[in-house]
Amino acid sequence: MRNIFQSRVSGTLLKTVFLGALDGIAIWASVQLFLQSEVGFAVALLIGAAVINYVFLSQKTYPVRYMVPGLIFLFAFVVYPIGYTFYLSTTNYGTGHILNKSQAIESLETQYYQPENPTSYTFNAYENDQGKMKLLLKSGTDENLYLTEGKKLKEVNQGSDRLVDTDGDGTIDRIGEYSIMTRTEVIRSLQTLQEWRPKSGKVSLQMSDLNHFQEQIAQYEYIESREVMKDRRTGEIFKPVEGTFVSTTSNKKLQPGFKASVGLENFIRIFTDPLITGPFFRVFTWTFIWAFMSVLTTFALGLGIALLLNDDQLSLKPLYKGLLILPYAIPAFISALIWRGFFNTNVGIINTKILQPLFGIAPAWFQDPILAKVAVLLVNLWLGFPYMMIVCLGALQSIQPELYEVAKVDGASPFQQFRKITFPLLMVSVAPLLIGSFAFNFNNFNIIFLVSRGEPPIVGATTAGSTDILISYTYKLAFGGQGATQYGLAAAISIIIFLIVGTISAVNFHYTGALEEMSENV
Amino acid sequence: MKKSLIIVLSLTLVLGTVFAASAKQAGVLEIWTDKVRYEILKPIASDFEDDYSVEVELSQINYDDIRSKFNKAAPSEEGPDLLIGAHDWTGELAQNGLLEPITMSEDLKGQFTEVSLDAFTYNGEIYGLPYSMEAIALIYNKDLVEKEPETWAELMTISKNLTNPEKKQYGFVFPGTGDPYHTYPFLSAYGGYIFQYDGGFDPNQLGLTTEGALKGLRKLDTMYEEGLIPQGIDYSTSQGLFTEGDAGMWMTGPWAISGIKEAGIDFGVMKMPPMDGNQPKPFVGVNGFYLSAYAEDTVLANEFLTNYVATEEVMAKLYEEGNRPPVYKPVRQKAKDDPTTAAFLKSASVGMPMPNIPEMNATWGALTDKLQLISQQKQEPKAAMESAEEIITQAIEKGEY
Repeated sequence: MRNIFQSRVSGTLLKTVFLGALDGIAIWASVQLFLQSEVGFAVALLIGAAVINYVFLSQKTYPVRYMVPGLIFLFAFVVYPIGYTFYLSTTNYGTGHILNKSQAIESLETQYYQPENPTSYTFNAYENDQGKMKLLLKSGTDENLYLTEGKKLKEVNQGSDRLVDTDGDGTIDRIGEYSIMTRTEVIRSLQTLQEWRPKSGKVSLQMSDLNHFQEQIAQYEYIESREVMKDRRTGEIFKPVEGTFVSTTSNKKLQPGFKASVGLENFIRIFTDPLITGPFFRVFTWTFIWAFMSVLTTFALGLGIALLLNDDQLSLKPLYKGLLILPYAIPAFISALIWRGFFNTNVGIINTKILQPLFGIAPAWFQDPILAKVAVLLVNLWLGFPYMMIVCLGALQSIQPELYEVAKVDGASPFQQFRKITFPLLMVSVAPLLIGSFAFNFNNFNIIFLVSRGEPPIVGATTAGSTDILISYTYKLAFGGQGATQYGLAAAISIIIFLIVGTISAVNFHYTGALEEMSENV
Repeated sequence: MKKSLIIVLSLTLVLGTVFAASAKQAGVLEIWTDKVRYEILKPIASDFEDDYSVEVELSQINYDDIRSKFNKAAPSEEGPDLLIGAHDWTGELAQNGLLEPITMSEDLKGQFTEVSLDAFTYNGEIYGLPYSMEAIALIYNKDLVEKEPETWAELMTISKNLTNPEKKQYGFVFPGTGDPYHTYPFLSAYGGYIFQYDGGFDPNQLGLTTEGALKGLRKLDTMYEEGLIPQGIDYSTSQGLFTEGDAGMWMTGPWAISGIKEAGIDFGVMKMPPMDGNQPKPFVGVNGFYLSAYAEDTVLANEFLTNYVATEEVMAKLYEEGNRPPVYKPVRQKAKDDPTTAAFLKSASVGMPMPNIPEMNATWGALTDKLQLISQQKQEPKAAMESAEEIITQAIEKGEY
């Protein structure tokens, strides 16, 4: 009785500490998010925290407690990214369209141009007891003095009695209640100084370095009521079109543009742009062949070795198993790069140490489209068979030995035993994994990108290479250059691939269900 | 139930306050830098902290990640105030509205070589404070190449004598199979170019199919045809061949030097010899500091660059420890005493700055593919460059870069 009581108390204590910490973090994080004006995230966070509190404090929702953490992670790491990808695919997010609209407008409005001969002003800053500041600027051309009145600039007379030089060194030390600031104080107020931009007319003065202000004229003006941008210098009007301000009179576009919704533009582009559609069918076909052949070769080799290892007469089994699992244990990144070196036509050891001395041939591995395909399949075979071997070894153990005894009595040959007993029973547990492996290889970006890089290129005006699969082709399209970033387009293609792999998975589930039914009958 | 609710609420309050109090304070100067520059900037950052009583936060970021990270972080105001980078990012970052021009006095501008400032100039504004410059040159193994080739024809002869594919020995190697950067000297020797330069790069004027470009590429084609350059060579394979003494000449940049020294190869560096009297012009890459448009305090950041980084002491360190030829004139004099640096500088002085316009992004993929087809003898330079131009023009027209 006492034990139960104790565990209940410590359970409650644990719960309260846990919830308290969680709420503390949630409140702090949502305040931070509000401050960064991420209202959506902040609200979502608070609602999430409230739901967790309710679930854990109410007795009614007791059973839900076990599901809530999983559901939250499902939402955060699966549902949200998919939704965000969908959203991105309908935008033009990418080079030149990184900012949001108000940031882009702000960026354009702060593009200044300097008049022909900009006047430079030296300045002194003054501060009163309330911390308010005033600037006294001296024109570099005519030595006239100007004083700030808030954002405005007013000319003052040299001899004005407001300007007091207490120590007589030629520097004005006091202006009314304002007294001069030291250099360190000026530096502390740099941000205020930079954003001050005192104006007279359309000319504004911008701090150019620690000692000077310079004349500048803002080039663009955003006319809020008409939602257009006006060029002050030329009078040209720019209208926002799909995230770019485009001139109404010429084809001039303003930089930067902004992130804007483009509807299904990205998807339409995938299906109509000849640069993309040209090699699409070719890439699509090879992707299927690649995924299918990868599964077939790795499974065949893995199963073959598993059958050998399953033989009772074989000694030193653990040693063989250990050695054969090695390819699986080495990080695929490293082995892929090493294999790329091995296959090098002129200096790789496959040609120089094996094929050349033994057979007198030196195939041009990554220069020939067929050989390049063979090479990537071979590398994937090396990387993939240990997995299949492990899976098959496990599945073989589960087949009842009596079945083989019965078969022997009936006079079945070893091959017949394999075909009629081993293989069908193996497939029951292995088939879903094969379909999973197909889906995995369908998107096996690493091997293609690291081993062949999609090479060799195809002759003609296309960006696809002979060994490019859909995902590596996507990468080339969206990030093809050395920094080109077409996130919108990449998201659209990802969604198409997502649909393809989703269909494969649906078939997988369907097929798995069918096999389970079959195994029940066995 | 009630009791536990009260406990939860009170704990919430306590922890909430603790977390809120520990939130990051504003008013720091954040700088993104790679590892080498990090060590160099550390002492001056603390000087700056003392002089201006602001906090300087140096973040060490993998160089290759800086560009994409900055693109994502800056608009959400999580980016740095200053960052290091290569000059060819200028167009893209400026077009994205993420850069602030750097304010330099005429005096200070005069301290830098003209080409290094030009490299960072986009739409008439200087967007970077340069610190180093690099260009590829011809590195040769003194044991195999006795006399510096004075012409490309001599280079070809030396190359022929040294090449023996069965023994994996080559006269001339370069990481050139489909590497536009390393192939550019061929493209440019007879006057070819990627984008026409006239005070700025013109994205609508491609020069890949000009007679000059094709003539240079035919020279390259011939070398492949005669088996003088091995197939499918990337940077690491060419490095392997040269550092093991299996290659006589290696066309690459100053980044290769430390590896060669470690391998104990007796080497020399020279600028590429002329082809029929025409100088092959390598791409010049300039490294420098960018100022973010989302910097909290532009003037302060600018101050750090112009008065703390642009000094002889720091620039000398950036040259010595960064192992790249300097662009700051007072240090440049010093660098010329080192024959290796002097040779790379000589090569850079005949080079052309790599285009810094964002449209350059559209060229790499197509050029890589088509240069490979030339090296594999599958296409003549003319046909290959025509299809490259077609792809690049389409991509630029559609804004796909």
